[in-house]
This record gives sequence, C-alpha cells and structure tokens, in this order.
Amino acid sequence: MAINAHLINISKKIGVLSDPKNLTAKAKGHCQKIAATIKSFTLLGKFGLTVVTFFVLLAVFAPLITVHPYDLPSGPPLMAPGEGHLLGTDDLGIDIWAQLCRGAKISIIVGLGTALLAGLGGGLIGIISGYVGGILDKIIMRLIDIMLVIPDFPVMILLAAFLGPSLTNIIIVLALFSWVSSARIARSQILMLKEKTYIKSAVLYGAGTWYLMRKHFLPEIFPLIAVQMIRLTGRAIISEAGLSFLGLGDPTSKSWGLTIHYATSFKGIYYTDFWKWWLFYPWLFLMLMVVSLAFISRDLERIADPRLRKK
Amino acid sequence: MSADKPLLDIRELSVTYTSSNPAVTAVSNLSLQIRKGESLGIIGESGCGKSTLALSIMRLLKDVRTEGEILFSGVNLMDLTEQQLRKYRWEKIAIVFQNSLEVLNPVLTIAEQLEEPIWAHEKLTAKESNQRIIKVLNMVGLDPSWKNAYPHQLSGGMRQRVLLAMALVCEPELLIVDEPTTALDAASKNEIYHLLRDLQKRIGFAMILISHDVAFISRLTSQVMTMYCGQVVEYGRTSDVLKNPMHCYTRGLLNASAQFFRYKDLWGIGGKPPEEMRIYEGCPFAPRCCQSSDNCRKSRPELRYVALERQVACHKGGIETFLKAEGIKKSFQVKNRVIQAVKRADIEIRSGEVVALVGESGSGKSTLAHTLVGILSPDEGSVYFRGKKVENHWASRMMEGMQIIFQDPFSATSPRMKVLDVVKEPLDIMKWGSPEERNEAACRALEAVRLPVNPEFLERYCYSLSGGQRQRVAIARALVTNPKLVIADEITSMLDPSNQANILRELKGLQNRFGFAMLYITHELHLARKVADKVYVMHEGEIVEKGDASEVFEKPKHLYTRQLFSEAFYEESKG
Repeated sequence: MAINAHLINISKKIGVLSDPKNLTAKAKGHCQKIAATIKSFTLLGKFGLTVVTFFVLLAVFAPLITVHPYDLPSGPPLMAPGEGHLLGTDDLGIDIWAQLCRGAKISIIVGLGTALLAGLGGGLIGIISGYVGGILDKIIMRLIDIMLVIPDFPVMILLAAFLGPSLTNIIIVLALFSWVSSARIARSQILMLKEKTYIKSAVLYGAGTWYLMRKHFLPEIFPLIAVQMIRLTGRAIISEAGLSFLGLGDPTSKSWGLTIHYATSFKGIYYTDFWKWWLFYPWLFLMLMVVSLAFISRDLERIADPRLRKK
Repeated sequence: MSADKPLLDIRELSVTYTSSNPAVTAVSNLSLQIRKGESLGIIGESGCGKSTLALSIMRLLKDVRTEGEILFSGVNLMDLTEQQLRKYRWEKIAIVFQNSLEVLNPVLTIAEQLEEPIWAHEKLTAKESNQRIIKVLNMVGLDPSWKNAYPHQLSGGMRQRVLLAMALVCEPELLIVDEPTTALDAASKNEIYHLLRDLQKRIGFAMILISHDVAFISRLTSQVMTMYCGQVVEYGRTSDVLKNPMHCYTRGLLNASAQFFRYKDLWGIGGKPPEEMRIYEGCPFAPRCCQSSDNCRKSRPELRYVALERQVACHKGGIETFLKAEGIKKSFQVKNRVIQAVKRADIEIRSGEVVALVGESGSGKSTLAHTLVGILSPDEGSVYFRGKKVENHWASRMMEGMQIIFQDPFSATSPRMKVLDVVKEPLDIMKWGSPEERNEAACRALEAVRLPVNPEFLERYCYSLSGGQRQRVAIARALVTNPKLVIADEITSMLDPSNQANILRELKGLQNRFGFAMLYITHELHLARKVADKVYVMHEGEIVEKGDASEVFEKPKHLYTRQLFSEAFYEESKG
C-alpha cells in the first residue's frame, strides 16, 4: 500500500510537469536551453550572432531608421558620406544607406526562403528516400548524383535568364540547386536510425510511420537540417548577389548584389572615389552577413553533432 | 495385476475440520485408486492436505466431517464402526508417521512400542512376539540389541527404522509412508530408500508415499499425484510427470528441487498458498499461476485426461505453449553470396519457462530471435504465439504479448528521450489507459527493475545514464506491457560481471514473480546453466540439440554440444 501511495504521489508530480498550466515554465525551460546554447558558442560565433541580429533588425525596421526613400533620388548624385546621407548617394542621387537597409531585407528573404525551401524540401525527400528505400531510394540517389555533378552556377545563370528576373524565381532556382545536401544528410540519418534497436522496438509496439517521424526521426534530424539551413542561407545570399551582379536579378529589388552591379557598371568608378562608399559598403554588408552566418553554422554544427562536441 | 479390482479406491473424498472456525476443508473432492503392489507418490507443499489424506484413509481424524467413500478391498471404511475399523488399522493398512521424537512414547522401550500392535491384533505368546520383533527389526536393518533402548537414545535414522518396523509388524497390505526422509541426511535417506524398495519387493504391499522430496518419490513410485489445496492437480506415471510436468504447480515444485537442477539457482513457486483452506470458486492455484486468466477464477477445473495415463486439473489443459516456431529458415544476401543464417529451426516455449538458446557467436541465434519476434520475416516456416500466427507484429503490440530486449543497451533506448518517456513509449503507442495510468505503470516497471522513480530520475535523458541503467530502462520498457513472453537477446553481454549478475538475477526474479516465459539467448553457458529450464543448442544455423536443462548440461548428446560444453566448463578445471 505504501508503495502504491508513493507511486500515486510520483505520478501527480509528473502530472504537474505535463500540466498545460505550466506551459510558461516549459517556455522558460526552452529559453534557458537557447541561452545555454548561445553561451556555449565561441567568440566568433557570438560575434556572428550579433551581426546577423543587427542585419535582421535593420531589415525589419528599415522604413523607420531610414530618412530617405530607397528607390527615389533624395539628393545630389554621387555624394560622399556625410551630413544628411550617412553613406552617401549613388549616380541617381538615391541614398545608399536606405538601399542597403532595403537590400538586407531582400537578402534575408532570399536566404531564408531558399534555406527553408531547400532545407525542408530536401530533408523531406531524404527522409522519404531513406525510409521507403528500394527503387524510390535508388532513383532519388541517382538524381542527387546528377545534381551534384552539374556545375550549379552556370545552370543557375541559364535558368535565371530563362525564367526571367523575379525574386520568387531566384529563390526557386537557388533552392533547386541546394536541396541535395540536406537530402543526403537526412537520408543517411534515417538509414542509421532505422537500424537502432529503439526504432525496431517502437515498430514492434505497433508504431506507425507518422509516430516514428514525429517522435524519433524529426527530432533527431532537425538539428542537423537546421545547421544545414543556416549554411544554405549564406550560400543563397552569395548566389543571389552573384546573379544580381551579373544582371540576372530582379532589377527593382535593390539587393546588395544589385547595388554592387550598378556600382561596378558605372564607367570608370575606380578612377574616382565613388567606390569608397557606393561599392565598399554593400560589399562590407554582404561579407559580414555571410561570414557571420558561417561562424554561427560552424558553432551549431559542433553542438548538434555529438562526435564533434567532444573535441 | 492391474486388471483386477483396486486395493484402495477413494471416491470423491472431502475432509473438513469442523473444530476450527471457520471450518477448513483440507481435502476436497479427491478420488484415487491404488492396486496391489503399486506405489503412489503424493507431492505438494506443506499444508496442501497430504497428511490429512493419509490420516483420513486410516480414519484417525477427530472432529472432522468426511464425505465420499473410501473402499478398501471393496469395503467402505466410512461405514465401519470403530470396533470394526480396528481390524483394518495396522493389520491391513499401516502408517509410518512423520518422523519426530513425539511419535514414539518416550517412556516405553522400542520392544514395548512394537509389542503394542502385535498384542492388539494377534494373539501371540511373549516368546513369539519377541521373535516377531527381532525379525522385524532385522527386516528394517536395525540391530535387535536396540530393542531395549528408549526412543531418545536413537538417532533420527534409527527412529525412522523403528517407525517402519512398527508399521510392518502386522504385515499390512497397504503402507502409508508420511514424509519418511525429512530431517534425514543423505546417507540415511539412501538407506531408507533401499529399505523401502527391498521391503516392497519382498512383502508386496501397496504403498502411498507422501513426501515433498521429489527426488525420493521419483525413485520409489510408479505413479505420482500432485496435490494443491486439498485437490489433485496432476496425476500420471512418475517418470512422465517428473520429466514433463503438465501443471504449472508440479513444475514449480520440480524447479524448487535442488536434486534435479544441479547448477540452476533455486526458485520457489511465487506467491503464497491460500491461508485458509476454504473452497475457492475458481482454480485454487490461479493467483499463483503464470498463465491464469479471468476464466480460471470463475470455475474450478476438473481433473481431465490430457494424455495417456495423465490427468491434469487445469482450464488450459495444462501448461500452455506460448510460442511455437516451425521450420524457420532465414538467409541473407551479402554481395553475391547467400548466407544461410538459420536453417530449419523449430522452437517451443511454454508458459512460465526459461528456455536458453545457446551457441557460439554467429550461429544464428539473434537472427532466430529477430525472426521469432517479427523484426525479420522468415523465408520459410512460421511462428505462432498462443496458437495464432505472428504477423504484423500483433503479438508485440498488445499488452500481455511478447517482447524482446536487445543486446546493446546504448542503442536500445533513444539518447534524446527522457527515462519516463522511454518506459511508457509502448503504452503511448498502444494508446493504453489514461496518461496518469501510463505514468503509474511506467513507475511500477521501473521499481520492478530497481531504478529510482523520483521525478529527477524520470526527467533525466537517457544519454546521461550508464550502460547498466540503460539496459534496466530497456527491460522496464519491455515489462511495462506485462508480457507473457520475453525474448532476451544477449542482454548482459555488454555489461561488467557485477551488473551482469544483478540484471540477470533481477530478471529471473521478475520472471519468477510475474511468471512470464523467457527465451534467454546467450553464448555464456555458465549463465544459461544458472537460469535455464530448457536448452536449445544452435550451431551454424541449426538447432543441434534440445531438451531439459538438467539433461543437456549433464549429458550432452550431440558432438558439437559436447565440444562446446567441454570448452566452456572443463577447460578451467584442467588448468
């Protein structure tokens, strides 16, 4: 009897833990976890996180922190940074700071859009390939092999030119060439997990595909895919800039790449001082963003992969 | 000899002690027959009614209500008056009482004790009776010079002989021997055995031998009867019953006998016999039985024939077969080679028994286990769980089904999950009960494997546990479904010896307590010898030998088994 009472007591305690009223406590726990993760970052990782946060804030609050419009002339052309225009103006007299803030938004949209589309889509394809196996797996794997050997940038140029310049097209084209790595990661994880005895046990208890996905596969794979997605974000931002630089981006998008494109197509820019603000700042922003993302992804990878964690 | 009428024929005998309140039924509805020269063994735990039966045959009980008939050579002893009974007692039916100092009168010498029945039944002179006493003392192997000794001057073995002499002094037709060997050492026991055997051969009396010493019974009797709660639960030829018991109670008694299993750890029958011998509505053994179901508690099972000369009182017709696999074949394709991992394996596991599957690594043991449970599907053959073919994991995805525990503790539980979530996962998947009930069941399972159940532990992640703890968690997860059959696949091979011993002992203890059947797969023969009731030896995908653990380990027949055992067991003794 005493043991029973004890058990009931314990189960009550457990009940408290899973009580919906205690959701705030749960959320608190999550916050603590995130804080702990950030704490375990290296100095460079923390730096990266700060920079990325800064750019995200810049993108979100762009209309509030810019005095001038990003698409209309607001002063004399080719003004050096100074009063009124923080980072000067371009050849049309449009404020560079406003353009770059707008560009941050575009870059982040492209980056995240591509990362989500490629990461989740690729992950899903990988999961299906690994879980279903058989002929489907073989087809998908050969497709991935083909995607890997195709030089992606030239094909992207071709596709971008073919589909016409628009932000959505850019995202689709980029995603089309970046899902492969997430798919491979997801597939290899599934193949490994399928052999784990706890998965076999769950199957023996009668677990269906949905249960396995929800309880076992996704929680295991998600951190790896998330790291991959951050890496993809950086890559997508670079690729978008590259396409825009070649003039294949959306001419109205005002992305960082496009600003660089306009600056470099200005005849004789290197003979003047204009590049010091017109070209330098978009380059700096782009570089900071991509490098920061790389730092973050490196740290997250270290945390998500237990084999690297030990080092 | 067996064609004629039985010497003793008991029909539906019930004995109730009326002196106690409430009345206690010590023997209920018992029937038995014994022919001339036959010997019948009665086994059972203390208090099952064996002695009451013996005394009621002698009609020596006072303050009892007796129903039914006791026919001795066609005469119903129940109808006789005390006067008439005396003629039967001692002259026709004699009893050797349970050995103790109190049985013999301490103030009478041995000779005086022996004279009593002689004078009561036969009119002999003092000289004749003295001769008879010397003869009978010689007969039981006691030097006649002891006849003037007092009981307290004799040793236990000698007293047993005196008791035997007392019973034989009037040359009875039926001898009832009640616990002749309790408190005797092995040598005296052996002497009593030889004595009883020779005397029976010489005199030709029928014998009812009551003992809880199963080994003694097995050597002396041709028929054996298991009693529980005043009822016969199994009856059959001694050799058959002891080799292949068909009632869970008989098997429990045998498993508790050290003589049969030299190496195995001893385990008694779990649970307690009912405290009061009242008449149960259902099967009296149901609360302790490993295969009881609701049905068993509703009605009382009749003694029925389940085989030739074998009667069992069980609703399930005796010990149930839980798992049966026939002609299992399984091969793997490795590059261009086909590897036959299992070639035709048959296996049978009955309720409540521990079957060890032994063999060296790579002999196909694990493949067979995975095929049995349904992780792999066999190329040929089929697996039946409780008579139904195993498909789609139905047997493992229900409560009271079959479960497997795997070898590697680190891969058996997800490092990412919390202890509580791991243990109750089967219940979550089966959608059994309410969340609170699931938590409680999980806590109970954790307590059973001796893991803490405080909230801190329940909330711990599995990666932070040690190998031994994780294996316990995996065992708890299997036990949470109350399985009837557990397949343990090398569960201790990755643990250190201390953890190994602890886990194995606990698992065996749980097996004894909950009564599930277990297939214990191992290459550690020493461990198998400690726990197994039955053994299957596997070699290169084939089962080369199977049988009772005691027999296989003592006298392996197959060449491979012999080699395997000699490598495992005798190497160290040779040095």
